Amino acid sequence: MRRNAILFCVLVLIINPAIATIAQEQVRSANTTEPPASSLSHGTHDASATAAAPPSASGEKEKAAMESSLRIEGEKRFRTNCSRCHMAPHKFPPRVMATAVRHMRVRATLTDEDMRFILYYLTR
Amino acid sequence: MRSNTTISRLELSNFPLCGSSISRRSTIISRRFASTSIACLLTLALHGIPPPILYSQEPQVPVVDDVKPIPLLTGGAGFITTFDGGQPHLGPIVTPVVLVPLGQRWLFEARGDFEADLVQVPGESGFHGTAVKGLDYAQLDFIANQYMTVSVGRFLTPFNIYNERLYPVWIRNLQTDPLILPIGIGPSNASDGAMVRGGFQANSTFEVNYAVYFSSLVTTSAVDSNRFAGGRAGIFIPKTRLEFGGSFQHSLQDARSNSFGFHAIWEPFALPLEMRAEYARSIQGSGYWAEAAYRLNQVPVFRQQMRHAQVVARMQQAFATIPANSLFDQNMKLFEFGLNYYFIDGLKATSSYGRQFSASGNSNLWTVGLTYRFLFPLGNAWRN
Repeated sequence: MRRNAILFCVLVLIINPAIATIAQEQVRSANTTEPPASSLSHGTHDASATAAAPPSASGEKEKAAMESSLRIEGEKRFRTNCSRCHMAPHKFPPRVMATAVRHMRVRATLTDEDMRFILYYLTR
Repeated sequence: MRSNTTISRLELSNFPLCGSSISRRSTIISRRFASTSIACLLTLALHGIPPPILYSQEPQVPVVDDVKPIPLLTGGAGFITTFDGGQPHLGPIVTPVVLVPLGQRWLFEARGDFEADLVQVPGESGFHGTAVKGLDYAQLDFIANQYMTVSVGRFLTPFNIYNERLYPVWIRNLQTDPLILPIGIGPSNASDGAMVRGGFQANSTFEVNYAVYFSSLVTTSAVDSNRFAGGRAGIFIPKTRLEFGGSFQHSLQDARSNSFGFHAIWEPFALPLEMRAEYARSIQGSGYWAEAAYRLNQVPVFRQQMRHAQVVARMQQAFATIPANSLFDQNMKLFEFGLNYYFIDGLKATSSYGRQFSASGNSNLWTVGLTYRFLFPLGNAWRN
């Protein structure tokens, strides 16, 4: 009986991170698919106010600005984290960088956030 | 596996007349079930709830899951010539690394080590020596969540930082190993067992990284390790680019002794300067090293050449303990100065001069060499 209880606890310990992971993925995918509220309202306002400036143009500008700021932040984190041990490497194809950054996440204990910014900078 | 209810029903049907024992047994079962439930609820509370809330608080983090990683063959190679007390040593070395990502959360990584120490034998021409093969690590990593990665297999012992981060020939600034490197890392620099590690942002000011591990005793030569447990924790302050931390290890064999160490890295924003230092102490001895490396970007002459050059200085000291345990024959001091030149990314010429001081006599230590970091994708790197 006691052994069964221990086994059950171990099973819960194993299954639970998996459930948590799935929940994380769902929340993250919800965050990415859902457009920002500011851009939505901005787009609606533009469309109703003027026909010369279509909503897609301002959306594109906002998107470009956001991508640029993400790249800048990624470069900053790349220089801060990677240069602690070695010189900055050349850029490689995105799939190569994805593996290298995952390797460095484990080896250099990069945070999840740093890893994402660095990979974004190295692949975009 | 049968559930608690099924077991109790079976037991009840087997013993229909034992009323008091049944009620007592059912009470015990219900108590156990209650304790199990509490344990499960606690586990759920600890593991299940926080991640979605934390993710929802970080909407600015870019999503990069659409890039599929590809297996890689990478690593370092070098040819280092050393003159130790006037005796020349030729040291070819190749350390291939294989990286195989599996899905979104798994990674298999392995590093081999092929090197030789070739010396002149009196009465014979040329250099002679045997090649040494080793498996530095072969580990399977599972990225459980944003705070934790679980690794099993053979891994580099996370004691201080040199062994894990600075050991490859294409990374290290000086080609000689620090004197205290063997402290706390076990035989052949690695452990066989399991490790939990990770890094996370504690608040807006600093990040925390940690590694906790257990290693078992293995005596097979290529993958040997000692039985010990330990951990390392560090704090990194991005705004000042300062990292510091400490390591602890408890041996679970022989003398059951403790080892501990401290490390620090600082890269000031104002200068292209790297400063690193480590201290380690164990039953085998103690010591420290401190290193500074300066890229000559800011030198106003020959800018094109100077920006590829780096000067390095390292000072280290090792203290011996009782001869039966000691790693060192006697107390030693070693001062080294180096000059590195980075031709292209990954290709580096390296040279250094060192002076070693000890009771048995002083000696010079010269090194000159070439190191290279290679990388080959094992598949189509462009098709996602």
